[in-house]
Order: sequence, then structure tokens, then C-alpha cells
Amino acid sequence: SAQECKTVLDAVEKIFQYGIPDDVVDNKLQDTVSKAVELLPELWKQDGCHQEAMSAYRRALLSQWNLDNECSARIQKGFALYLLYNGVEAGPPSLSVQVEGSYVPKNNLEEAILLLMILLRKCCLGRINWDPSIMEHFTFALSLCGKTSILARQLEEVLPGIFHRCDRWNALALSYSAAGQNKVALNLLRKSLHKHEKPDDLIALLLSAKICSEDPLLAFEGVGYARRAIANAEGKDGHLKGVGVRLLGLCLGKQAKVASSDLERSYLQSEALKYLNEAMAFEQDNPDVVFELGVQYAAHRNSNAALRCVKQFIDATGGSMLKGWRLLVLVLSAQQRYSEAKVVTDAALDETSKWEQGPLLRLKAKLKISQSLPMDAVETYRFLLALVQAQRKSFGPHRSNILQVEDDKVSEFEVWQGLANLYSSLSYWRDAEICLEKARALKQYSSSALHTEGVTFQERERYREALVAYCESMMMDPNHAPSKVSMGALLWRSGSKALPVARSFLSDALRLEPTSRSAWYYLGMVHRDDGRIVDAADCFQAASMLEESDPVESFSSFL
Amino acid sequence: MSVSDTKAQSAFQSLSNILGSIPLTVNSSESPVSFLLNNSEIAKQISVHLKQPNSGAGDDDLCRWLYNTFQSSDPGLQLVVLRFLPIIGGLYLSRDNLRKSLAGFEAILLAIYAYETTSRKGQPITVNVPDLSHPSLYHEVPITNTATELNLAILSQSLEPHGTIRSTKRARIVGVALELYYSKIAVMPVSSKIDFCEFCIIWAGQDGDMFIENEDNEEKGNGVEVSDDGSGDADASTSEDGVTKKNDGKQSEEKEGRIPLPWELLQPVLRILSHCLLGPTKSKELQEVAQAACRSLYARALHDVDPQAILATSSLLKLGKMAMDSTPNPDPTEMNCDFMNPVISL
Repeated sequence: SAQECKTVLDAVEKIFQYGIPDDVVDNKLQDTVSKAVELLPELWKQDGCHQEAMSAYRRALLSQWNLDNECSARIQKGFALYLLYNGVEAGPPSLSVQVEGSYVPKNNLEEAILLLMILLRKCCLGRINWDPSIMEHFTFALSLCGKTSILARQLEEVLPGIFHRCDRWNALALSYSAAGQNKVALNLLRKSLHKHEKPDDLIALLLSAKICSEDPLLAFEGVGYARRAIANAEGKDGHLKGVGVRLLGLCLGKQAKVASSDLERSYLQSEALKYLNEAMAFEQDNPDVVFELGVQYAAHRNSNAALRCVKQFIDATGGSMLKGWRLLVLVLSAQQRYSEAKVVTDAALDETSKWEQGPLLRLKAKLKISQSLPMDAVETYRFLLALVQAQRKSFGPHRSNILQVEDDKVSEFEVWQGLANLYSSLSYWRDAEICLEKARALKQYSSSALHTEGVTFQERERYREALVAYCESMMMDPNHAPSKVSMGALLWRSGSKALPVARSFLSDALRLEPTSRSAWYYLGMVHRDDGRIVDAADCFQAASMLEESDPVESFSSFL
Repeated sequence: MSVSDTKAQSAFQSLSNILGSIPLTVNSSESPVSFLLNNSEIAKQISVHLKQPNSGAGDDDLCRWLYNTFQSSDPGLQLVVLRFLPIIGGLYLSRDNLRKSLAGFEAILLAIYAYETTSRKGQPITVNVPDLSHPSLYHEVPITNTATELNLAILSQSLEPHGTIRSTKRARIVGVALELYYSKIAVMPVSSKIDFCEFCIIWAGQDGDMFIENEDNEEKGNGVEVSDDGSGDADASTSEDGVTKKNDGKQSEEKEGRIPLPWELLQPVLRILSHCLLGPTKSKELQEVAQAACRSLYARALHDVDPQAILATSSLLKLGKMAMDSTPNPDPTEMNCDFMNPVISL
């Protein structure tokens, strides 16, 4: 029967070489032609002849058969679905139909997306009836490509009344969040979760809580969403309760970072731990919960518990996540077990591919510094520099398209910065200056570079220039704690009149980074010089406790 | 006999030596390659052999046979090896790699990865998403817009050669192998696709039963215990009764096989799953197991709160339901001429 159809169409094509004009042909013939055109690809499909089916589809759509809207829409939909799901690549369309300057799809996915877009446009213009499956196919195809921003645009174009407004907002929020535009997504979710709309939609609540858990300023809002999600996760959705509890723990931990008082901060941190432990009970098999619990314990300086968690994480994921290795090394270094940390770093370097080794090499260099092997550290930094520069050359424009990648690439700026710090601690001033210049060439206005410069001046007793450098650094970034500590230390040295100012700088630094042991130490000195011995003793005690459990790199990169 | 037939014959001989006697002989009408590919008895024996708990080590003969067969550069024989990729990849990812050596599996996966790297010359696979404001093959635009923006989406990153499998690259290598599997999926036998869907359920590590929409749901759906999905029982039947049995029986059994699902692995998985679910197939069993896999992956996407995965899996789930369910949904663009209740909710 396929053959018969084909002969009919061949005949018609021969008669009407330039396409069937509107008024010449009578209805019955047109009817037969339309049916034949639609039927032929289906017949080939059922037979399993992929190439014939695809050329039949193309012929149906590209030649002038004078089909009506519904018919051509059906054929387009059939072809798009065939391209998406049948698993055989259609070749490119023949050159005769390619017009100069127009878009020609090069593979199945492109062609299918094009056809689905045309169909959606037809729906919006009212030429055909709305078919919900088209939108679903389109969503699927575009989420596969990762271009969900285009999906969002298409969702916005759909006429009102087809989706409930909350469904539209939620779908848009998912698309924007997948495209990395979390603020836009959050705004949409706020609308959809308003008390007059659908405030109990579980997926919307969880997504908002997740977006808020990544920003300390939004964390308080996230806590609210997470609590509502937990309250709503009943019955059929009970399996999502654990997710809600976990997000609650994360938001509380993030909120602790901007707490205004010590009491509040410690309360929030303990609550975060409590909820993350509860989440573990719900989701024992989810290694991410274990990791996050480990990070919180580490930040709390409970390194034994952190160690247990991170080991469990590495076991559960088979060592395939870089962040697990990094956290393990940091926790070991916090426990002052440097040689074991070195062994773990080497093992991790074995388990990771070349391009991901940046952060591990940086850790290795810092470990060597802690073990008083500065020359080895320099060697490691050199190796890291070569890696980073090679990475920059070989990964051109395509690198930025992975959305799920962790931010684990070391930048060249960081390497120069680290080298500058190292050289200044060894008193190689010339080398330190060279490194700082290189760093500044890459990133002109950086508070950490200025801070390092200030340190080099201070060590060489050029106090005025050091002061200037610290001031500039604080102007760049008012929340840069190390600059405040250094400023406070410098002022403390300059005499009793500056002590109150020094004290205010150091307290400010402690507000930003409560675990900064140098800040505690200098604050202790300030108190001692001012005669407040008891306060000084407290500060020194804090400093010494922190010194015993200081990791080589701050845990804040995980928080 | 052609060269490929002789190769196939020798492959068949060595296979029968490894597996013990296979009581079947090659049909003279069927080519040995397609026999190896489609024969269910051979497939079953090989699967059983692969799923043994200590398979995949460096000295595993079957792995060596698979590796040699793939390296023989005969496309037909390569298809035979690809047919077992779901099982190999599945077992490799779900087992604990840091303790046991799975060198046999690794060798096969690396061979497939190397083949794909050379055939693609390491280039990424990109998709240029169309923009309707530019004219295309299928439509014309009244005012032609000459500014061309490239809306490039990367489906698969560029490939670099790997000599060994490092832990952080495991997912990527299996993902690339799955991409090759997808490109040949039209000729893969149904049993291979069913194996794949079953592994999807194991990898997801979530019970997707709460998304089954029918009367049975009330009985087993409420009180969703933190239940398992039958770790060792990968071959559990996928019908509704099978699911009930799984829930009752194995509640305290340890969940095994749940793996991290980065997008580089999830994306080819979803493409293959979409083919199993919505592609041209006459097998009801495949569609059911694909539906179950879809549900599990959706549950997993919700647990990870990953918006891209949620979008993809939820649309697949809805499409699967639409395909099974032939009653048309009410068209929201049609006005219900109910003049007693003239409020239209938007």
C-alpha cells in the first residue's frame, strides 16, 4: 500500500509541477491528495523503513500540496515526534530545498525543535487547536539541550487561559532556575506562593527554599519556605519531607553567616545541625545530606564528626566527587594530621583527571607550607600555574556551557596571589612584588592583592604605605576581614592612642569571620595593653583553641 | 563467507568455550552476527554471567571476550558488545569501586569511549537552537532579520582521550558510551532496552510508585515508608503485582546501587529512555518498565531539587501517561458555554 500511495503522489507531482494552485482543483481530488500525503509516511513508519519515512515526511512538508492547517500541523507533529524518538538520524535535507540565508537543521534534534516551535506559534496564532503534548515534547527537547531560557520565552508566549497562572509561573521558574537565573525564578515563585495563589505547592516551595539556601541574605526567607514545605509534605508526597528538612538545615546554616549577634549565630548553627541530622534519618542513602552535615560540623570545629561524615560521603560516591576529597584534606589538616592529609591529597590526585586537579594542587601547596617545606610549595604552585594556563588555552568558548559544574577551577589570579603570599612569608620581596604585579594584571581591583601588598610593606617596616594599602583594600571590599585584622594589628603597634580604633577594626573582623585566630590574638593584645586582663585572657584562649583546629584553607568555600 | 562472517564465527566459538556449552547452533539462514545480537538464550547466559557478584575483575574471561570482540572493528560485532552496555555500565557504576577492582568492565568501557572519541574526533556535539525570527526550511518570515545570533547549545562536551578511568570521570565515560548506544538504538533488541530501564530504576535509588495513577495506588501508596527498590532483584517483574511484592518483601534490605547522577550521565539516559517510552515499539513490557524508570527518575529529580532534571523527567512522565491514556484532555481554549456560571478562571 505504501507503494501505491507513492505512485499517486508521484503522479500528482508530475501534473502540478509548481504546486497545486488554490482554485483549479476540485475538493475530492484535494482530499485524496491530502490523505495520501499524510498517510504515506505513516505507512513507511509502520514498516520500519526509516529513511523512506523521513523522506516522505520531508516531501510532504516541503512541496506544495495545498494542505489545510490542521493537516499540515498533524504531519509536522508526526515528523517532529519521529525525529525525536525513533533513534535514527535523518540526513540533512537535499540541497534543492535549502534557501540561501535560511536556517537549515543539521540533526534530528534541531529539526524537531524547529517543527515544534512552528507548531506552537501556530497554536498561539489560533491556526490550530491547542495540543498539550506539543508543549511537553518541546519542554523535553529543550531541557535536554539545556537551553531552558528559550523554553521560558516560549512558555511566556502561550496565550492566557491555557495554563493556570500558577502553573505557568512555576514552569517558568523551573526554566529560569535551570538556566541559572535564580533571582528571576525566585521572583516568579514568590508570586506563585503568595497566600492568595497556591501557597502549598510543594515543588515550588522546595525550589524556592533551594534558591534561598545559596544566598545568606535570602536564607531567612528560605527558612520560611522550607518550614511550609515540611508542613505540606503529607500523604502521597511524604517522601519529600526529608528534602524539606534538609533544605531547612541548609538555610539555617546560611542564615548564621549574617547573624547579628553571637548568641543568634550559635543558636542558628545548632539548629542547622539538628535539622541536618534529622534529614539524615529521612534520607540515609542520599550522600549529599551526609556531605552537608560534614561541612556544618567542620565549620563548627567538630572535626571528629566531620571526619566521619566525609569518609561516609567518599565511600558512598566511590570517590567520584571532588568536593569530598577536598573536605577530607581540610578536615585532616584542621586536626593537624598533615602527613595523612598529604597521603589523601596524593590519592585524590590519582582519582581525578588532569583538568580538575587545580584545587587539590592548591591544597597540596598549602599543606607543604604548613609542614615547613616552602620550596616544595613553590614547586607545586609552579605546576599549578602551568595547569591553569594550559586550561585557559585549550578550553575556549565551550567551557561556560555546563551549568552543573562546581566552581572548582582555580584561576590564574589565585595562583599568583598564593605565590605572592608565600614569597612574602619567606621575605623574598622582589619575587613577591613580581607575583603581585602579575596578579594585578589579571584582576586590577582586588582587595586580597592589595592586602598582600600591605603585608609586604609592613614586613619591610614601610608602615605608611602598608596603611594606605589596607585602606584601599577595605575601600574595595568593606567585608574583607583579613584587611581589617591587619589594619587593627598595625594600629595596635602604633601606640596607645590608636587602641580604640584598632579594637573597632578587630571586632568588625570578628563579626565577619568569627573563627579568625589572628583577630582574636590581636584583640587580646589590645585588651592587655588597655589593662583589661580578663578580656585579654579570654581572647588569647580563643585564639589558641582556634589555632589547634585551623585548616589550611577556610571552610567557607563550602558553606 | 564474508570476512565479517568468519570473524563472527570465531567469536561465537570462543564465546561457547567461555560460557560452557551452548546447546544451539547457528541457523544457516541467519547471519552469525545477527544471531549473536538477537538470540535470547545467549543474551540470558551472558547477562547471568555478568551479574555475578565477582564479575568484572581483570581476569574475567567474558569481559576479555567482549573487549576483543569490540576491538575487532567489525560493526556488526561491535553492536553485539553494545547490546550489553546497559548491564556493564550499570553494574560498573553501582558497585563500590574503591574496594573492588573492576578492570574488566573498565577495559570495555574505555574501548567504547576511545571508539567514540576517534569517530567524533573529540569534537563536541552541538545543537543550534532555531529562532523563529529567521526564515527556515519550513517557514518564511515577512521581514527578514539579517542579524544572526548563534544559539548554540552543547549536547555533549568535547572528548579527550583517557587511558584509565579516574573516579571523577566515571560518569562521563559511561555517559559517552551511552551516547554511542543511543546512536545505534534502532537496531538494539528489546531485551537490551529493558535491561537499561531496569538499571535506570536502580541508579535513581528512589521508589517512584507514588506517581502511579490508578486505583491500586491507595493501597500501597500511603504510608510511604523509606522503602527500597529491590537492590539485588533487578529482574523483578515490572507489572503492578510485582511492584506490590517488592514493597512488602524487601523493606529492610539495604539500598544498593543509587549513584550520583550528574547531567553528563543523566542526559543520554533520558534520551534513551524517551526512545524506549515514546519510540516505535510494540513491546508492552518495555513501555511499562520505561514508565517505571521515568517515575523513579522523576522522584530522584525532586529529591535533588534539580530544575533541569525536573523539567525533563516530568514532561517525559506526562508524555508517557498521554501515550497510554487515549482519552483526550479537555481543551482549555474551548469556551464552555455555561451561561449559568460565566466565570472563567485564568
